[in-house]
Amino acid sequence: MSASEKILSLTVNGEPKRLLVKTHWMLSRVLREEIHHTGTKEACGEGACGACTVLMGEKAVLACMTLALEAEGKSVETIEGLMSAKNPHPIQEAWMEEFGAQCGFCSPGMIMSAKALLLRNPDPTLGEVREAMAGNICVCSNYEHIEAAVLSAARKMREDGAQNG
Amino acid sequence: MKPFNYIQANSLVEAGAILAASSNGAIHSGGTDLMGCLRDRIWMDEVDVVVSLSGIAQLKYIRKEGDAIKIGAMTTLTEIATSSLVREGCLMLADAARATASPQLRNVGTLAGNICQENRCWYYRYSYRIGGIIECVRKGGKKCLAVGGDHRYHSIFGAVKKCVAVNPSDTAPALVAAGATIITTNREIPAVEFFTGENGKCSTVLEAGEIVREISVPFGGEGTKSAFKKVALRKSIDFAIVTSAASVLVDDGVVARASICLGGVAVTPHPSSEAAALLIGGPLSDERIAKAADAALAGAKPLKGNRYKVKMARAIIADTLAECS
Repeated sequence: MSASEKILSLTVNGEPKRLLVKTHWMLSRVLREEIHHTGTKEACGEGACGACTVLMGEKAVLACMTLALEAEGKSVETIEGLMSAKNPHPIQEAWMEEFGAQCGFCSPGMIMSAKALLLRNPDPTLGEVREAMAGNICVCSNYEHIEAAVLSAARKMREDGAQNG
Repeated sequence: MKPFNYIQANSLVEAGAILAASSNGAIHSGGTDLMGCLRDRIWMDEVDVVVSLSGIAQLKYIRKEGDAIKIGAMTTLTEIATSSLVREGCLMLADAARATASPQLRNVGTLAGNICQENRCWYYRYSYRIGGIIECVRKGGKKCLAVGGDHRYHSIFGAVKKCVAVNPSDTAPALVAAGATIITTNREIPAVEFFTGENGKCSTVLEAGEIVREISVPFGGEGTKSAFKKVALRKSIDFAIVTSAASVLVDDGVVARASICLGGVAVTPHPSSEAAALLIGGPLSDERIAKAADAALAGAKPLKGNRYKVKMARAIIADTLAECS
């Protein structure tokens, strides 16, 4: 192991991972090319579009601007961590029902930003949704449907919470 | 991106020692500016070691000590934007933090990093991936390409060492208007003296191995109101064209104290004590605000392609002051 390689230990979608990474690799590269979770998209690669948004702890961060080694000991959640096609997460359900995706490229990042918002604020106003989602760009300009999907997901998750609680 | 060594420091002393021993080390606080600089390889000298401060939990705090809000170097912009203490004691700083970048970048980007960031001049930042590096005047070259080229977002208050790139930080003008102090590993620096265009690639007066430890912001007392405004092309994830921060203390209908600072208009944040002085001793009326705004821009020397910024800055100062009433 040279000075430009280090062992990275982190948790991805609940699974502990330990891998050898180059010190200059970004988290997006490790997620996509080493762990093969390609749901996290890299579009601009300079922190300006939000397509690579993942959760680190409970916070939305940009995987393309985060050095992989900064995730040491952290818990990372990607779109793969939500749920499978047969058993979608309420945010994913809301995305389908409200037509949150057109081309769909921004959806994984959008959904992770939505999850970060709903974790800290289960009942956001439209203004709060707009502020929380302001770091994610949709080139199809599908914003009205995305706002509706986030608000609908919030309702679903509150109802689910009420049922389970 | 070129490979480099990466070390998580356990203390600022250790970080300083690693920097001192490196040939061209860089500090990683939130990393959001540093990663862009490294990825685009904008610097003439390659960074050999990245020293991360993210393992130093003691640098993450916002607390009140006497009449000051003390902010640890690793406090994120999200934490500052949402802090009830900062909102109460220095609203313009909280709003400046909130106006910066995007939620994801604010979640990792720190206040200390925000004031140490590199400028955004598109010649200076010209990426290796699209044919850079451009050896502009700020990197030791002979010529500023912006003066003869596209300088629509550049300085309207002249050049420093021929460079007209503006300081891009949104929080910088708020800290200058607040009379904040930047506390480093070596010394205490008034915010107004912290920024410079004299030191080549760096936009601060920090010396080699010197690291920001804390930012101390005076707590605005009873009657003090402050505001921050930003004009950018996009509402989110965009650098400012012009920002303005102002703080005003009105006592019995009369302005007793005022401070104003513009951002995005000069190589360093641009305070105007002349404009602030014009406000003192009378009411915060529209007429007196207009005079102060004119005074703040009186010394402007715009380039051919950015005269519009003078009008924009005048308007945004007036708006910011009006919000302080």
